[in-house]
Amino acid sequence: MTGNLLLGGGLTAALATMIICFAQKIPSARLVKICAGISAGFICAASLLLWLLIFENDFSVEYVAAYSSTTLPTIYKISAFWAGQQGSFLLWLLIHAMVGAFLTFRRTSAAALGIYFLLQSVLVFLVLAKSPFAEHSAQVFEGVGLNPLLQDFWMAIHPPIIFVGYALLAVPFALSLGSLLTEAASQSWLEEARKWTLAAWSFLGAGIFIGGYWAYKVLGWGGYWGWDPVENSSLVPWLLAAVLLHLINLARKKSVVLAQAHVAATFTYALVIYGTFLTRSGILGDFSVHSFAGTSIGMTIALANALVLIGGLAIIFAKAKELPQGELYKSYGESTFIILLSCLLLIFIASIVWIGMSMPLLSQLAGEAAAVDTDFYIKSTAPIALALAALMIFTFIKFGRMISLGGKIAHAGFLLMLAAIVISAQGETVTQEFQTGEKVSVAGHEFVYEGQVFYENERRKFYVYNVDGEIVRALTKLHGNGEDAAREPAIMRNFSGDVYIAPHAAKIEDIQEMLLTKNLFAMDDGGLGYIFEDAQIDRDENDQPILATAAITITDGEISEVIHPTIVVTPDGGSSQSMEAFNGKRRVRLTGVSGDLEKIRLEILPTFDKLSEMPITATVSTKPFIWLLWLSVTAICLGTLISIRN
Amino acid sequence: MRKIFLIILLVGFVAYAGFNLAESVTPYVSIAEARATSNGVQVKGLLDKNFKSVQDGDKFNFSIQDEETGETMRVIFDGVKPDQFDEAYHIVAVGKYEAADETFHAKKLLIKCPSKYEGQKPQA
Repeated sequence: MTGNLLLGGGLTAALATMIICFAQKIPSARLVKICAGISAGFICAASLLLWLLIFENDFSVEYVAAYSSTTLPTIYKISAFWAGQQGSFLLWLLIHAMVGAFLTFRRTSAAALGIYFLLQSVLVFLVLAKSPFAEHSAQVFEGVGLNPLLQDFWMAIHPPIIFVGYALLAVPFALSLGSLLTEAASQSWLEEARKWTLAAWSFLGAGIFIGGYWAYKVLGWGGYWGWDPVENSSLVPWLLAAVLLHLINLARKKSVVLAQAHVAATFTYALVIYGTFLTRSGILGDFSVHSFAGTSIGMTIALANALVLIGGLAIIFAKAKELPQGELYKSYGESTFIILLSCLLLIFIASIVWIGMSMPLLSQLAGEAAAVDTDFYIKSTAPIALALAALMIFTFIKFGRMISLGGKIAHAGFLLMLAAIVISAQGETVTQEFQTGEKVSVAGHEFVYEGQVFYENERRKFYVYNVDGEIVRALTKLHGNGEDAAREPAIMRNFSGDVYIAPHAAKIEDIQEMLLTKNLFAMDDGGLGYIFEDAQIDRDENDQPILATAAITITDGEISEVIHPTIVVTPDGGSSQSMEAFNGKRRVRLTGVSGDLEKIRLEILPTFDKLSEMPITATVSTKPFIWLLWLSVTAICLGTLISIRN
Repeated sequence: MRKIFLIILLVGFVAYAGFNLAESVTPYVSIAEARATSNGVQVKGLLDKNFKSVQDGDKFNFSIQDEETGETMRVIFDGVKPDQFDEAYHIVAVGKYEAADETFHAKKLLIKCPSKYEGQKPQA
């Protein structure tokens, strides 16, 4: 409730800023600063409140109950903020609002600020439409917690960086429309727009690359890029922002390119919103591994999208006559022509990705739902990317001296990236069963699988491999019940490239489930006898069950041992840990206790020694010189940041 | 001259992209529709619990069930059992139906898990 009130305050102040900027010819700079500051203040307060609710484990808030839990480590409580759709919108808004407040201290035109704060109001509205502060009537004592897959350092930084990119792209859009509304033919917005677009491009690129690295290193999807709609929806604005950047640079020297620069600014930001719409509205539910469950917010985002695209284009058309007209270039050998042609190729690539990712939506509208397979993207974009690379090399040779240092680094990085994508795909992929301790030769490397090692009360395990004499480990995070929650690959890094081992789920066929009745004798497959003696359930002050304990005697006829396995009650039923018994000869886990305490369910699991001896199937692939890819994308982002200065 | 150059480039691109698109598009169909065609399709179903899924070498066998009609269909996936297969609430198989062995041959599987990205509904 308080959270929504704070957001309401943020909305009111953002609207006030917008009105002041639009209504007065020369608005009071101080008043604008104050209003923008108040809006940002409210939004910061709302964000801090969400973090506070997460840290206080306030599970009366649905979002907190769905993404956090009392046992979640602190670092992941910070990132639980943006684990879901509602929170990630708030994060976007938070960054947008802080950039907005900063803009009022730079010499930004009133009209541009008006547009920017209109966008800010729309974003607050989107957050309110599906608020992270919504409470639910159910009484919850423990949250679901963050998906183990997302409990990762990269999850803590990947979304914020992407959203910095999205938020910064609003600035060139606002500057463009602001300039059109006041002096259409003016080139004065371009210098400022250039800096913001460079920063946005660098951040959005870094966000995309970090996402790719995360997928490669942690998620074990086998690669850094899967042409998933969520990946594509950030790639398209990034490609268009590159077009925008080059058109802004051209327009600074040649005013006839102004129209193109304005159109690019509108399309770039419209595609940011469009990507959000596609991935957050739930319409891709059946087509993407990333998509969020169906939500009612789709319509709201679609309207926001229409507002940006139609609004932007309408203003451009209305002012088209005032924009400078003339020849764009005189000869085909001119740098202007080469840059425009490169932009066209980037637009072609962006269009292909756009068509592919929109196919489920477009075909649904046409009546029959369909999707494209990922080959489409590779097959269609590869020749265009090749042509683009050729143009870039040509430009380097012919116009190299005209390119700044940062520009040189970024362009060289881009070329190197294209090369690295091709080179790293030339490796081998083999699926192989590994016997513990056995030496095998796969894809030109020597492997010895050394077994599984368990850590942290069986919440983590490692598959240990010896590759060419070097030990590498693949982490698997486990659920409380011992099932795999998230599997990571093992990577052996080398100058010649990575050896990438993605273990498949261990077969757990050897589990024997026993149903024991109180005081009755039962025997397991291995010939040990069990007598269930007694069970008890501990309750908390609200009479809610918290812990179930059973006493079981295990005997081989001569020696007897009494064990006390337990089940801890959790929101999703219960979690129980296995325990070793009978000198490590058995590993058992209590999985159920009947309400009358007369029956229990016990699992007889393979011992850890046995698990370690189990053969494991893994997909092994080699990624030649993949470090070139990481190097090249770092060069792209750093080169871009350097060129902000001049 | 310049305009012609641009038009040729644009028309060429549209034809090129359209051609590739027509080749790669796979419609989204029900189990009954998948049986009726030998073209590549995507078909969605629940996991058929009455059929024990087995990994046979590098082929993974299972059966899916239509959410509405209850119709079932055998699927052979060209690969290993995907992660989180057992937790899936529904499965999208991409491939084509072969009348010869009355089985859907999938080259790709999309596993939709309730917990993978979006939070589960907390229970009281």
